[in-house]
Amino acid sequence: MLKKSVVENTLTAALETGADFAELYVEETRRNQIGMVNGQVETALGGLDYGAGLRLFFGNRVIYAFTNDTAEENLVRLAKETAATAKGARLYALAEMQKKYCRGINPIALYPNSVEKKKKAQYLAAASAAAFAYDSRISQTRTGFLDVTKDVLVANSLGVWAEEQRVRSRFTVEAVASSASEKQSGHQGPGGSVGFELFRRIDVEEVAREAARTAVTMLSAKACPAGRMPVVIDNGFGGVIFHEACGHGLEATAVARNASVFAGKLGQEIASPLVTAIDDGTIPNGWGSANMDDEGMPTRKNVLIEKGILKTYLIDKMNGRKMGMEPTGSARRENYRFAPTSRMTNTFLAPGASTPEEIIRATSWGLYAKQMGGGSVDPATGSFNFAVLEGYLIRNGQICEPVRGATLIGKGAETLWKIDMVGNNLKRAQGMCGSISGSIPTDVGQPMIRVSEMTVGGRG
Amino acid sequence: MERREFQKELMALALAEGFSDCEAYYRENRHFEVMVLEGEVSDYENSGLRGVAFRGTYEGRTGYSYTERMEREDIAYLVKSARENAVLLPKEEREKLYAPAKPVGHWEKLNPHLEQLTAEEKVQAAKRMEAAALQEEDAVVSMDYCVLGTDWIETAICNSLGLDVSCRRNMVTAYVCAIAKEGDEVKTGAYFWKGQNWHEFDPAATGKKAAEMAVSHLGAGGVASGRYGVVLEGRVMASFLRVFAPVFFGETVQKGFSLLAGKRGETIAAACVTLRDDPLLETGYVYAPFDSEGVPCRNKAVIEKGVLKTFLYNLKSAEKDGVASTGNGFKAGLTSPVKTAVTNFYLEPGKRSREELLADLGDGLLITDITGLHAGANTVSGDFSLSAEGFLVENGNIGRPVEQITVAGNFYELLRTMEEVGNDLYFAGNGTGAPSVRVREMSVAGE
Repeated sequence: MLKKSVVENTLTAALETGADFAELYVEETRRNQIGMVNGQVETALGGLDYGAGLRLFFGNRVIYAFTNDTAEENLVRLAKETAATAKGARLYALAEMQKKYCRGINPIALYPNSVEKKKKAQYLAAASAAAFAYDSRISQTRTGFLDVTKDVLVANSLGVWAEEQRVRSRFTVEAVASSASEKQSGHQGPGGSVGFELFRRIDVEEVAREAARTAVTMLSAKACPAGRMPVVIDNGFGGVIFHEACGHGLEATAVARNASVFAGKLGQEIASPLVTAIDDGTIPNGWGSANMDDEGMPTRKNVLIEKGILKTYLIDKMNGRKMGMEPTGSARRENYRFAPTSRMTNTFLAPGASTPEEIIRATSWGLYAKQMGGGSVDPATGSFNFAVLEGYLIRNGQICEPVRGATLIGKGAETLWKIDMVGNNLKRAQGMCGSISGSIPTDVGQPMIRVSEMTVGGRG
Repeated sequence: MERREFQKELMALALAEGFSDCEAYYRENRHFEVMVLEGEVSDYENSGLRGVAFRGTYEGRTGYSYTERMEREDIAYLVKSARENAVLLPKEEREKLYAPAKPVGHWEKLNPHLEQLTAEEKVQAAKRMEAAALQEEDAVVSMDYCVLGTDWIETAICNSLGLDVSCRRNMVTAYVCAIAKEGDEVKTGAYFWKGQNWHEFDPAATGKKAAEMAVSHLGAGGVASGRYGVVLEGRVMASFLRVFAPVFFGETVQKGFSLLAGKRGETIAAACVTLRDDPLLETGYVYAPFDSEGVPCRNKAVIEKGVLKTFLYNLKSAEKDGVASTGNGFKAGLTSPVKTAVTNFYLEPGKRSREELLADLGDGLLITDITGLHAGANTVSGDFSLSAEGFLVENGNIGRPVEQITVAGNFYELLRTMEEVGNDLYFAGNGTGAPSVRVREMSVAGE
């Protein structure tokens, strides 16, 4: 995207005042988004995101600058201005940059930019129709398709020159069911680092019916009772519990600042021995997968927790320096406006031995959270909260009536100990994760698990 | 390319390529930010960003596109992309552009002093915030964040109907979040300052306040589940208003996602509730002489003494309801279409203090913080169930801190069951504001 000489001159200017590391990230992203309400196109947007981010290290200090004017004279001026705000002890030279080749983790069959927008809209209309046909109480639908084609270049003063094109596509559907006094909604949002062939991998009508089923089910649900009780969380998006409650606390961005309850606990038992947790940025066509991270390092599979023992954190270059540890290929950013930091990619709990039927049967009373909504966590305290989109009460080992409005709250470190059953039905689901380096695609995932006791909020 | 030249050439090409009207929205933001940790600068950011969003009518439909690169070659891309997007839409999806009575206007709310501040002066202020927070309370061990930022923002909109408006402003934002620890218990407390007058900014006071808030929650315990009378602090009520603001938007009502449909002129809230949106409020954090469509902004009551007075409109939703735009047509960024947004959106304060509200409450809970609004609040039904923190209130006095509870309820019901609004109006950095409010009863899940 930029000539080698422009990159070299920018990095050389950035090293002038003694930075020990300089990195230039350049991005050209074309995105297209189509949104429908009730089967009619409501929004059709597209555009070009373009810019460069320059990052300098002076010891443990980071300076970040970005611009979308990448003319050589502007980049060199920005580099000089930015470098002038700090002073290093000695000067470092620019290493000769070696081109890295891509590993082809995410093969693309049909590039979304080559597909007519009308064709994209047809799938959305079909999904909307399927949701309406599912039940007469479905009163509204929202369907959407997003495709992103992002060309990335990372070059740094240590000799890295890494480029890749990242393509991702996602289909979303929301179905709203209405009665005289109530409205309830169901969502689904499958996607991946894939092209338009996403629609060959999923059946949009089936996905839409699933969203409609949740909405209709919840329409007749009574308010969830509040209190402490055992909670069975189903597979797929249920993994948001681990993502929020623990994953963020394992990111070096929290650990290096000592703002995580997991800081200083490597090698220690931090969870029930049933818990093995993995972050894997190399899953073919995974939503959070890429050939390289945003520091130009190959992504990899990191086992975070193995049978309850904390094995590693997710580490980026700067936090690795602060912690005296090697980076784990986990540096990510939404775009050039953000300095990269350690983030999750595709994070999931590994499957265990129990079947879902065994888990339900072994539970005499509690909440079955079939579908989770989003949530958030305070990494300093590990306090989390998230919404249950579709829940049921369990009585005497049987799934009983649906309940709505339930919220699960707790503390991540405590919840990890309370996982007392882990199912064998691992499934991943797609989400957007927001944190200090922006909003990025991440997979959450887990098999069905049971937490022996949690605080459930509700109005019943 | 220079922005006026780019806007002019873009509009000329679009009209030549078959657009019947068009608009070029320009935005530039220069941002500086420094984060301090343990007396040292830990992060430092310097940026210059600009871009253009295009919208125009092609074959009777509105097409959008945007670019962050402003080279001559990008003009053709904008026009082509907008045309492709336009033809996807049904015929009725047309957004009328603003035909201004007074087409030209240029506003400046710039404090030149802010542009002269050196990086070092900003760093020192951030360090003073942290030092004050650490010094104020023994239990405060570190900062979660301690950030100082400055922004310079220009918005400039031209359209083919003669509109030519621009606005420049600058501001400082300081944000500090302190971590307090006692034994195994960890609590955070956050506070911010936002404004234009650097001399009014007291970094030490900002840091101290965050420290006090963190420490005040130490020693927290649960409460029994049940129904409690509550006082919601201003920052909590402001969060509710932010999340549920869309129920007051004309476009939400028209799409059937608000339960306020058809209720204009009706009483929907307690008599103590007056809710305003004031884009030019002197003490507010937002300053918007015009919205993202170029429509002049004005102060208006959305709810007055419990009665729903108006919905909030952009040009398109206003046309559907046969009314004038309220000047609430905003874009969230270059990449987004014109939607509806609030500016300084606040609950008008009452006469009595928070202490007096607590005295009337007698026994119950003071809620000082809620989290999980983006997941635990349903803007369609109004239902919410949120993780909360606060204090037990006994005989009107603030007692021990409370944690690990959820409060559940319904926003529409909250408006109706509000017993009194306090006089301690608080504004969040995003412009939403509220004083403390006393609510008859809320469902609380605890132990």
